[in-house]
Amino acid sequence: MAVEAERGMTDMGSRHEPSTSGAGVVEAVRLRSIQKYFGSNHVLQGVGLCVRRGEHVVVFGPSGSGKSTLLRTINLLEEPQSGSVVVEGREYGPGVPGEPKQRRGDRRELRKQVGMVFQQFNLFPHLSVLDNVTIALRRVKGMKRGEAELRAARQLDRVGLLSKIGSYPAMLSGGQQQRVAIARSLVMDPKVMLFDEPTSALDPELVGEVLAVMRSLAETGMTMVVVTHEMGFGREIGDQNVFMDAGVIVEQGGREIYTDCREERTRSFIRAVL
Amino acid sequence: MLAQQARGFSFDFSVVTNNLDLYWAGVRLTLFIAVTSFVLATLLGVVIALMRLSRNRLVGAVAAAYINLFRAIPLLVFILFVYYGVRIAFGLTFFTALRAGIFAFTVQYSAWLGEIFRAGIQAVPGGQREAALSVGMGRARTFFTIVMPQAVRISIPPTGNMLIGMVKDSSLVYILGVNELLRTTNLLANRTFRYFETYLATVGIYLVLTTAIYYLVKYLERRFAISDVLSQATRRYSPFARNRYQRLRTLQEAVGGGSSIAP
Repeated sequence: MAVEAERGMTDMGSRHEPSTSGAGVVEAVRLRSIQKYFGSNHVLQGVGLCVRRGEHVVVFGPSGSGKSTLLRTINLLEEPQSGSVVVEGREYGPGVPGEPKQRRGDRRELRKQVGMVFQQFNLFPHLSVLDNVTIALRRVKGMKRGEAELRAARQLDRVGLLSKIGSYPAMLSGGQQQRVAIARSLVMDPKVMLFDEPTSALDPELVGEVLAVMRSLAETGMTMVVVTHEMGFGREIGDQNVFMDAGVIVEQGGREIYTDCREERTRSFIRAVL
Repeated sequence: MLAQQARGFSFDFSVVTNNLDLYWAGVRLTLFIAVTSFVLATLLGVVIALMRLSRNRLVGAVAAAYINLFRAIPLLVFILFVYYGVRIAFGLTFFTALRAGIFAFTVQYSAWLGEIFRAGIQAVPGGQREAALSVGMGRARTFFTIVMPQAVRISIPPTGNMLIGMVKDSSLVYILGVNELLRTTNLLANRTFRYFETYLATVGIYLVLTTAIYYLVKYLERRFAISDVLSQATRRYSPFARNRYQRLRTLQEAVGGGSSIAP
């Protein structure tokens, strides 16, 4: 199965024009042979994935297929047992077996370049909306309060919540909270944004506003990796669509995957959810 | 007079009102013991809680053993053991009766408080840590800016209960001859035979002390609660919030609306 996933990765490489082969030129993220176990449960079985700059990757598949774990591996919230994560040409993680040990990047450096939006929002409840967005600028980037607040306010304005800067997360709707969470990530100027089922915890009527923000973000050319059950949305923004099942990438491809896929497992999943 | 004596006794609170200075001295020592022990126990308790949560198994086991041991010993037994046992056996002249008492309280209360703080830290959802890490914070920064403030808020009510317990338990050192509130009362009663009046006053004083702490804890809970600084009510409430309000308003005007990517 690992071989299959690796083949998927090479397919990616060949599908894109070879002129950009210099590593790190157009590649924003590359996962290489990721092996992840939770105890004896083999959740990621040698998965590889390549995300080009400006590309929108949609990952879908049944529960427990490893798609969230895959996403969380990109910023090393999940540390794989082996394999490596390459972001903007820099290699992180334990490495691929058999390769010489290169110098690994510090995972905090990695995380500064990768924004993440969680299913449960995970806003800091003891901080105001404004402070939620400024805290990383001030504590991680060491920015002065005035400048940090100005940047944060601009970002909150982008997601339509400038009027809520003095509120606390508990006073906001789920959709508003998720938009603040998006602003909190965006303010750090990430190279890549990861979305881990960003609308799954929302009331149906609030899903739209979050998707609208994500859609406009996609239009700005942000590199995005989105794990979602919103197949309609995935179909709309997904340049590269990845179907995972049981710890491997079963199939990946362009938009045609939703209507014309090769694998029977992909077909039955899409038929079940669409 | 005769009739009163036949009933057994008559109330005479002058024994209390004439000795208010004695009571006051007793209250001061009681509060000194309680507050000193509690502050030390809180500091030690934080250390115990962090040790308990350490990724190092040995450190965790040491903390667990500490908690288990000192929660098991009755407080009075421990006080007597420290003062009459440990002090004499090892010739620790440092342990005056007062210090022995404070030491015993600190050790025992740090075990209880350590468990409260551990639970408080663990009650902060794991997603909070992940969110902080994901924006590039380190482990220590994540703990101090994100996890700890939330853990403190969770820990305030049970910690307040412990402080009330501490004030009451401080009376146990009367057995070592420390002139705190209970021993003062005891001496006064023995001298005047006015047991009811003197002890009733002491009961009243403990009631006042614990009630005051109760309101202090309630105040702290409210202080740590959240409120919208842009709301009318908060602004009326505090001049500090008014300043913050002005800041935010200025910020909103500086940014203005316009570049929204929202619907």
